[in-house]
Amino acid sequence: MRRSLPFTDERHQRAHHFLVEEAAALDGHDFDGWLSLLTDDIRYRVPVRVTTTRATDPDRHSTMDHLDENRYSLTKRVARLATDHAWTEDPRSRIRHLVTNVRTFPAGVDGELEVESALLLFRSRGDTRPPELICAQRQDRLRQVGEELLLAERVVHVDEAVLRTQNLAIFL
Amino acid sequence: MRTDVDAVVADIGRGMVPAFVYSDPDLFELEKERLFGRSWVFLAHESEIPDPGDYVVRRVVDDSFIVVRDEAGVVRVHFNMCLHRGMQVCRAELGNASHFRCSYHGWSYRNDGTLAGLPFHGDAYGGDDGLRRGDQRLLSPAVETYDGLIFVNLGGDPPPVVDWLGEFTFYLDLYAHQSEAGLEVRGPQRWRVNANWKIGCENFVGDMYHTPYTHQSVVDIGLFREPKAHKRKEGVLYFAGKGGGTTYKLPPGDFRSRLTYVGYPDEMIDRMDETWSPAQRKLVDGDGFMVSAATAFPNLSFVHNWPQIDEDGTVVPFISIRQWQPVSPTETEVLSWFAVDRLAPESFKAASYKAYLMCFGSSGMFEQDDVENWVSITAVSRGTMARRLLLNSRMGLGADGQPQADPLPAFAGPGTARVGFGEFNQRAWLGLWAGAISS
Repeated sequence: MRRSLPFTDERHQRAHHFLVEEAAALDGHDFDGWLSLLTDDIRYRVPVRVTTTRATDPDRHSTMDHLDENRYSLTKRVARLATDHAWTEDPRSRIRHLVTNVRTFPAGVDGELEVESALLLFRSRGDTRPPELICAQRQDRLRQVGEELLLAERVVHVDEAVLRTQNLAIFL
Repeated sequence: MRTDVDAVVADIGRGMVPAFVYSDPDLFELEKERLFGRSWVFLAHESEIPDPGDYVVRRVVDDSFIVVRDEAGVVRVHFNMCLHRGMQVCRAELGNASHFRCSYHGWSYRNDGTLAGLPFHGDAYGGDDGLRRGDQRLLSPAVETYDGLIFVNLGGDPPPVVDWLGEFTFYLDLYAHQSEAGLEVRGPQRWRVNANWKIGCENFVGDMYHTPYTHQSVVDIGLFREPKAHKRKEGVLYFAGKGGGTTYKLPPGDFRSRLTYVGYPDEMIDRMDETWSPAQRKLVDGDGFMVSAATAFPNLSFVHNWPQIDEDGTVVPFISIRQWQPVSPTETEVLSWFAVDRLAPESFKAASYKAYLMCFGSSGMFEQDDVENWVSITAVSRGTMARRLLLNSRMGLGADGQPQADPLPAFAGPGTARVGFGEFNQRAWLGLWAGAISS
């Protein structure tokens, strides 16, 4: 088992701080602010999970994603949400990103950190529907750019093979 | 049964849809028994199981099936229930296996469905005297393929699937037979929505009218240049056999330039030119139409769009196959595959995949707003007032019930084709639905 940096390590504290600030941007619907936390070469993936026997490598079958985004497509998604015609988020979902179990590792690349975290995303829409939950593991790569840490790569491993949410108009 | 099926069928026959059909439990029971129990239903694409032993597990409503390529290369579909005590013999969703072994008492089946062995055959059954091992195999429904699409029919003595689909195959080929190699698919993405399964089917079969409004945001951001109303109403709606769909009218040009316009590279156009019939080519060449969304009865849909995928303005087409799998009267599992011609250049496949993810599927920018609407319809269709409301689905008909305009007299494809907005296709699909549940 890979050992993460101690919680007293400044690199871990900065990474954790980044994730909390990022969650605040997403929960506050500040998507332009969120985009400013991403590197220009961001890769953002949400692979489809499948149920396999223990003897079968599930990754062999992960050729499909719910999302596989670069900066252009993420910018388009944010621009769409900002139009007056993105019906699925008007009225908005009330969302809460609960980010925990944060583990930070030095990356092989200078100035980068690998960060694992657990995500529980709560989404409530309207006044009659039951709320929806997405539980996932995030694997992030954070990069030091000038004074800032930015998100360079995220892979979100959702814990359900069949998502129980009407769409991914939200960011994980 | 509370619901008066004859009255529902009569209302639908005049284009007035009782709102409660989108949540009614009585109708759902009839759909399970009479519609899904007797129709050819899509399960998987052959390219999902390319090698012997490859399998996927899929459902037809409540029935679980193993779709597997056996050691001889034959595509088989087995009812996923052990002959002994009824346990599911496969509990994964995909993989590769020579045998499926029941976890309850250990009966094991070869991937062709035959019983291979069971524990203590002699001690427990007295050998073949008590249970003839060689006679046993997992149950199978009728199985047939068209364009690599694997269909099953749970009813007795069904017609061949190609006859069932009828002239819709002409249009199906435009998605699934762009070369002799056919499609390869990725996925599916799977997600559950609190919407009745029929709403998506009706939307894809012919709702050109929703595109300019529901999907205005994707025009606002420059993702897709076509949905503006003046473009959409120039498209043709067609219905043939068991399916129908929508098209866009392309700018002036010929076969090659129009396929170039939607983003196909030359080599793929060459293969379409070689593979398609003269009439299929003429749909693009002479008539100038490009297929977009479509539905084959009951619950298999297709979409073909051509968004802009980067800041350089690159336009790339994509194909998606999807299934609206009923879970309950008010819940549907959506299965959405990305599909591309197997011989397409790898660079095209990658770009087309990107186009798909941006537009359709669980995160697609088109689809997000569709589902919001369908969830809302389903929720409000459950109440008392909805039992009094007949939804107006008469677009294209005059007060006398006759079409306000004639079908196109000359159109390259079979069936009936009409230019512009209209709910002819939704009525045709609902007519098939009404026929299925009332007989």
